[in-house]
Amino acid sequence: MIAAAYAAPAARASDTTEAVLTHGTIALRNLDAQIEGLEPDATLRSARVEERARLIDLLALRGSILGSISDYERAQELAHLLVRDAAADAAAFLARARTRALFHRFGDALDDLDVAERLAAEAEILNRERAAVFQGLGRYDEAYAIRVEDARRCPTFESLGALSTLCAESGDAERALRLQAESLRRYRGVSPLPLAVLDFQIGVMWMHYGELDRARHHLSAARLYVPAYAPAQGHLAEVEAELGNAESAIALLKPLAMTSDDPDYAAQVARILADAGSAEDSGYWRNLAATRYDELVALHPEAFADHAADFWLGAGADPKKALRLARMNFAIRKTPRAYALLSRAVAANDGANAW
Amino acid sequence: MSDHFSGPRALADPAADLIDMFAFPAPGNPKNLVVVMDAFGKAGPSAVFSDAVIYRFRFRRARIAATGPDAAFAVDADEVAFDFTFDVPKGNEVAHPRQRAHYRTPGGETVSFDTNDERGGSSRDVRVFAGQRSEPFFLDVHTILETAETRQLAFKKTGSDTLYGTNVLAIVLEFEWAKLLGGGPMFAVVCETLRAGPRPVRIERLGRPEIKNVSMSFKMFDLVNRDLEIRDLYNSEDAFALMPDYVGAYRARLNANLSFWDSLDGKIDWPVDESGNHPLTSLLLADFLVVDVSRPFHETSYFEIEQAMLAGRPHATAGGRWLNEDVMDSIFTLYINGGNGPRINDGIDAPIVWSSKVFPYLAPPNPPKVTAR
Repeated sequence: MIAAAYAAPAARASDTTEAVLTHGTIALRNLDAQIEGLEPDATLRSARVEERARLIDLLALRGSILGSISDYERAQELAHLLVRDAAADAAAFLARARTRALFHRFGDALDDLDVAERLAAEAEILNRERAAVFQGLGRYDEAYAIRVEDARRCPTFESLGALSTLCAESGDAERALRLQAESLRRYRGVSPLPLAVLDFQIGVMWMHYGELDRARHHLSAARLYVPAYAPAQGHLAEVEAELGNAESAIALLKPLAMTSDDPDYAAQVARILADAGSAEDSGYWRNLAATRYDELVALHPEAFADHAADFWLGAGADPKKALRLARMNFAIRKTPRAYALLSRAVAANDGANAW
Repeated sequence: MSDHFSGPRALADPAADLIDMFAFPAPGNPKNLVVVMDAFGKAGPSAVFSDAVIYRFRFRRARIAATGPDAAFAVDADEVAFDFTFDVPKGNEVAHPRQRAHYRTPGGETVSFDTNDERGGSSRDVRVFAGQRSEPFFLDVHTILETAETRQLAFKKTGSDTLYGTNVLAIVLEFEWAKLLGGGPMFAVVCETLRAGPRPVRIERLGRPEIKNVSMSFKMFDLVNRDLEIRDLYNSEDAFALMPDYVGAYRARLNANLSFWDSLDGKIDWPVDESGNHPLTSLLLADFLVVDVSRPFHETSYFEIEQAMLAGRPHATAGGRWLNEDVMDSIFTLYINGGNGPRINDGIDAPIVWSSKVFPYLAPPNPPKVTAR
């Protein structure tokens, strides 16, 4: 799956204990409405770079909430055109760097940020973008140094939330929770999207720790903010399956598997059904996922190598393919998760010779 | 743009982002005052009002306290407010969905109506509309930015309307001012969005056009606070009671930017005082529309009351702001030559469709534009 840590735009700060937030369905409607309003001018050379870049960010945001790969692809396409049309504008390269990071093209993203720097992009913005890329690459120390300085100098909902997410991903659960609370305290906006993203990140962190009840709590909270938050729903299903609630998991997953262009949901349905002994039903979803993973790995190998490898290790039942993809993924990003995936792939291919 | 996307914070909540306000005596019925609040610039067909936001008009009685170089309004401490709130839409319509709206009158009465219904809602002495309409504002943002970048007027004979064919979410309120506001005939009005809840928090506020963008957004001329994105701070302020701690920052930004605009025709029409204060700064920081309902409706009345005050003569119009005024030309003429030269034309003279003089005034929404791929 594409990087889910896309940083949602957010409002500033205050006490959220009595916060009233826009209903999740309205927030998504209005995200659509923003995109609808900007799309007609999306490729016009005469359109303002600022607005074209904003559309790219809005598409990326919707992609992260709805688990919509087509939104990410459209964002990437528009970013490419923007750089073509505004090659002297740092904002164009910043926008393209963000979309390249979404597709795990981290080296290309850093190249774009270097160009943006030469075009006099603001240092603070560049640092934040570089931190996001370093985080994706598993270069947590470098990301941490930037995020800590940013939060120290300007302790806002955004800077503290970004630091919380980094801590969650790099394994510092206690700090992640503390920063999440601090970040929430400073939120003054009415959009539920940034809050949903924060809870989602914490939920994923607890999943990785095997703290399933805690994971369920945060993933459910993310869905309360935004009922259509697809990755939260998908991960919640994973938690339910782990807790032995296969029926609940399937009920959460099937609507996503039937409508999403992300094969992760079909892959999960296939795995859960296989575990439950429904081989025939599982086969249908397996084939659906397999076809889509092959398409996506061909189109965006860096972005989908990890999840495809995971699929071929499990319901896909092709450990050799899994090992090839896990190696590719580990070559791109040296995160603990990438290492664990490669280890599993090696083990599935009978050990040391596979390395 | 008038107040479109006026600050980083507004970008997160498009339905809370105020973009324009208008105030005028009802054409043909001077007993009625009309105010219009626009939010959500470039709104796609599915746009709706937020259920977590209070959309508020605030009225205060005003009078002219001083004329000449120290021209100023005096504004009462008492005020009358109209609040609008919205439910989550129940239907599944993709475009222009009906949404249940509620407004609370100054007397505490709550009246409900449906959005996107041209008949609107009404109660005694009040008529309201809320929903998607055609963007009444028009301007060429490119040439404004180019002007700031090159420090030379970059307007073309025929410009390109940045907002052509786009739509907004509008709230229209018309009422008999003598019954609901009392006193008069001069009123100051602002609109606001607030986060609802036990302690509402102001998200945005809006009075005069182009204060936060054309007048305040450029940082490079401001030698005092060159790095400061000042608009979020400004948005959070009470228009009728700016915090003394920050007034200096707003004043410095306006002094710098207004002097930049004044310099563009090669002569100084607005000499600053010994402290560097631009003659318009104080009046613009009184960031509310002032409408005198005893004077006739006029199509080009924005800042007419204030200009008369500066000149020490009686004003001739109701002031405020009418929907169809080419307010960018009015503002540029004011800022650049102070009316001492030809009217400045930014190359855009009309929106895609004019507003009418009949309730709900703003034209129906435009059809979606075809996406360029």
